[in-house]
Amino acid sequence: MASVDIALATIAFKRKIAYKTTWLFSVLFGGWALLAGLAVWNHLLGDGELGGYDWQAMKAYLVIGFLTGTLAWAGAEWDMANRILDGLVAIDLTKPVDFQRARAAEYIGGMVASVPAAVLGTAIAVLVFRPAGPASPLAAALTVFSLLFIFPLAFGISYLAILCCFVTQRFLGIQWAKDSMVAFFSGMMIPIALMPGWLQGLSWAMPFVHFTTTPASIYLGRVDTAGALGLIAAEAAWAVGLLVAARLIWRQLVKKVTVHGG
Amino acid sequence: MTLKRGVPARHALAVYWRTWFAQIRSIVEYPADLWVMASAGAVWNILQFAFLAVLFANVPDVAGWGYHEMLMLSGLLSVAGGCNALFWDGAWSTGSMVIKGDIDYRITRPAPVIIQVGSSHIGMQSIGEVVFGAAMLVYGWIGAGIGLAAVPIGVLAVVCAGIIQSALVTALCAVNFWIKGQASIFAFLLIELQGNAMKMPLGIFPSGVRLVAMFLVPVAFVNFVPVSVVTGHMPAWWLAGVPAAVLGSVLLAVGVYRLGLRAYDSAGH
Repeated sequence: MASVDIALATIAFKRKIAYKTTWLFSVLFGGWALLAGLAVWNHLLGDGELGGYDWQAMKAYLVIGFLTGTLAWAGAEWDMANRILDGLVAIDLTKPVDFQRARAAEYIGGMVASVPAAVLGTAIAVLVFRPAGPASPLAAALTVFSLLFIFPLAFGISYLAILCCFVTQRFLGIQWAKDSMVAFFSGMMIPIALMPGWLQGLSWAMPFVHFTTTPASIYLGRVDTAGALGLIAAEAAWAVGLLVAARLIWRQLVKKVTVHGG
Repeated sequence: MTLKRGVPARHALAVYWRTWFAQIRSIVEYPADLWVMASAGAVWNILQFAFLAVLFANVPDVAGWGYHEMLMLSGLLSVAGGCNALFWDGAWSTGSMVIKGDIDYRITRPAPVIIQVGSSHIGMQSIGEVVFGAAMLVYGWIGAGIGLAAVPIGVLAVVCAGIIQSALVTALCAVNFWIKGQASIFAFLLIELQGNAMKMPLGIFPSGVRLVAMFLVPVAFVNFVPVSVVTGHMPAWWLAGVPAAVLGSVLLAVGVYRLGLRAYDSAGH
């Protein structure tokens, strides 16, 4: 990693922690979604089970979703989008730093700033709600390893979303569409196991599933060690695939840059 | 009737519509933008539809609410959000205008600042939200067996939902006059609260959540109360709360915005 990447990541990190109120509320978002999810699934499950999830397992599933959600969407997404919308991207093009690489450094710097809050929030949630424990120590270790891929995956998806700003005038609607895609196809809205077969296949064919279902499946032992390693390999492949796809799309979209009508 | 600083309400309304139509003209100039954003709005609704379809394939009801009744909840919520984006999307720009000092221009013009900011943008995702939200609402309405006699209540509910939603978003975006930041974090929190709780029957949540959603931040009157009344889950007199929530939320938005403008000190201070 070059010093310029570290410098950009550090700046993004400092910018993130400078707005303390905003930072705090980003954790509250996840906290609220977790509490609402717990209320809904407590009502739906009762003493029974749905899709192989009983109440203890569902609590673990939702807490993992809270952790990944808080980490994943703490990056500097709006800063990236605004660079394109405001035309700052024109200045970026004159700099001797690759745009995608620079934004990746900033995004991951922003995500790192959310790690303490995400870990603290998860620890509190575990202490208060007492979810099911990991299936085995190996499953716990593999879960943590799979969570590391959230960083490049979240950047890849956010970066593809912000590239839409080359053809739109606003990011808000794009962000909501992306957030709802992630919420649904990650299994956060409703577990993938409850979906009909064709929708399960569609979900597993997309990268979003690795935000909740993959780490939760490994943690709860719904997949064996070979299955867990396969899922982690799929995460790695998506991380690389998204970066390459974004680079190809960028090459086409950058031709559309018009700044102040020029 | 006159507004602050002697601006007649008719003039303010004329300014609003002129600005809004100017936005429509600019949208037509960027068709790619229009279609990308309209599709983005449609995605949320299609996934809500899918969520409910999957959920009800696994459970018979949720706290006594059936599939079609819950489609109505999601549909009305979506139409309300769509109305906010279609007619009052500029409110979301308050935070960024405060940071950049863009409110300066608005203060010097002879029209209420809130009108100028509110009409400064149209969120084109609203097209997808309103069309697909309305489709969910109508499909749920027919499926739940609610007759044509209740249609006037439905129309009133849609209008009121759009106003309450826009007013609450405006009030919460105005918090950025004091808490500086590009993103309207409080308004996002509202949308999150609605997205997580208000597409579900309120009965499954603890009483604290019910009280907040009913009386503190009256999001329940956007979709839950009107849908509960037409589906018979709540007595009809609760409908009186809907116009009251409209009045309360509009007064709140105007009040917070005025206080915010007093606290506004332009950029760079």
